[in-house]
Amino acid sequence: MTQFISMILRLDLRCMRRIRGFLFIFLAVFSFNACEKDDICVDGDTALLIIRFYDIADTTEFKAVPNLRILGLGQSAPINPDTDRTSIDSIGIPLRIGAPNTTFLLIKDSADDDDMEIGNIDTLTFDYNTVEDFTSRACGFVASYENLTQGLTTDSENWIQDITILNSQIKKQDSAHVKIFH
Amino acid sequence: MLRSFISFFLFVCLFKGFGQEELERRTTGDSVEYKQPYGLRAGVDLSRPIRSFFDDGYTGLEFVADYRLTQNLYLAGEIGNEKRQDSENLENGENINVIQIYDHTTSGSYLKLGVDFNTYENWYGMYNSIFIGGRYAVSSFSQTLNSYNIYDSNRYWNGNGFIEGLGDSEEFSGLNATWIELLFGTKVELFANFYLGASVRLGFLVTQKESDRFPNLWIPGFNKVTDGSKFGTSYNYSFTYLLPLYKKSKKPKDKSSQLSQ
Repeated sequence: MTQFISMILRLDLRCMRRIRGFLFIFLAVFSFNACEKDDICVDGDTALLIIRFYDIADTTEFKAVPNLRILGLGQSAPINPDTDRTSIDSIGIPLRIGAPNTTFLLIKDSADDDDMEIGNIDTLTFDYNTVEDFTSRACGFVASYENLTQGLTTDSENWIQDITILNSQIKKQDSAHVKIFH
Repeated sequence: MLRSFISFFLFVCLFKGFGQEELERRTTGDSVEYKQPYGLRAGVDLSRPIRSFFDDGYTGLEFVADYRLTQNLYLAGEIGNEKRQDSENLENGENINVIQIYDHTTSGSYLKLGVDFNTYENWYGMYNSIFIGGRYAVSSFSQTLNSYNIYDSNRYWNGNGFIEGLGDSEEFSGLNATWIELLFGTKVELFANFYLGASVRLGFLVTQKESDRFPNLWIPGFNKVTDGSKFGTSYNYSFTYLLPLYKKSKKPKDKSSQLSQ
């Protein structure tokens, strides 16, 4: 060990100059190597199904649904706690990963009367296949959906008039996948 | 009086000694014979067995060797085998409800071949080195995806957890990678013919074969593979024995040429 220390101390200038460049490269790379995006998941997330609401009379115009509440079948909490029972013309809803379908209750003019829902409830089911992809080291596997189809349960007074699927592959959520006309 | 005489005597002796050495060197002229050992230096990496002992998910062993070609140039190589299990978790400050997103095991062997160039000039009779080196490395390995969950930040359907992956755990075999390595290290003679060394290595992936479903996240010998980067870093601590095969003399440097450098 003493030999090693004496050797380090004796590193003459000429030798140092030769090594310094390499030392610099090593230190630079090692220090950059420490700050990786590999530690935090920023590359992906399982996408939400994006729905936009349009006017049935003028199919190019957005039309907000008054006091919209959306419930997943079997769930008591609304999907959109922040915008629950407000008038909105777009919403992102989560599908069940791995399940063949997910059913939602879309309630227009949602309100309670003696703990009973008095709004107009339409039941909408989406069928799809789940695909899982490895996204990145930090995110791991993320789900996306393919072959999306919809089935609206007909009842006495459907407030939903028509549904168009724009994109049957749900991988990104930067544009609408489904148009609902009312 | 006596004391000053003795010290004067010692002082003169000192000069006499120097004078003799100078004389010796002069008599043999320019070609002072300075024999240095050449041979095969082989041993093991100390860090991998130690890590195997302390880290439950890791076992590894590496043999290292170099062969001295010229005064400063060595043919060098490493051969090893490593197995490592690792899991990626979603952690938080309080470590409450830590969710594992996937768990995988990589296992395989590697071979690195290249050269070391000693940049250090030893004192007489010492055979230490501070070197830079290069390697071309190949690794053959398999990767097993043990378990995984699906990352989904929306909590509506799944409460606090993540949904378990739909596919089975799967072994991806027949994977390989090649890379070049730049290294910086040292080897110091501890006692006769036994050397302790250390090196840090910067790898640059040249080729790799990976599965479509699960990429190579760790490569034996290369270490961690990071997203969007071909660089990797590793290290070793070698303990080696020099088997001296023959001796070759080093020509002393011409004083005048050294000055003009």
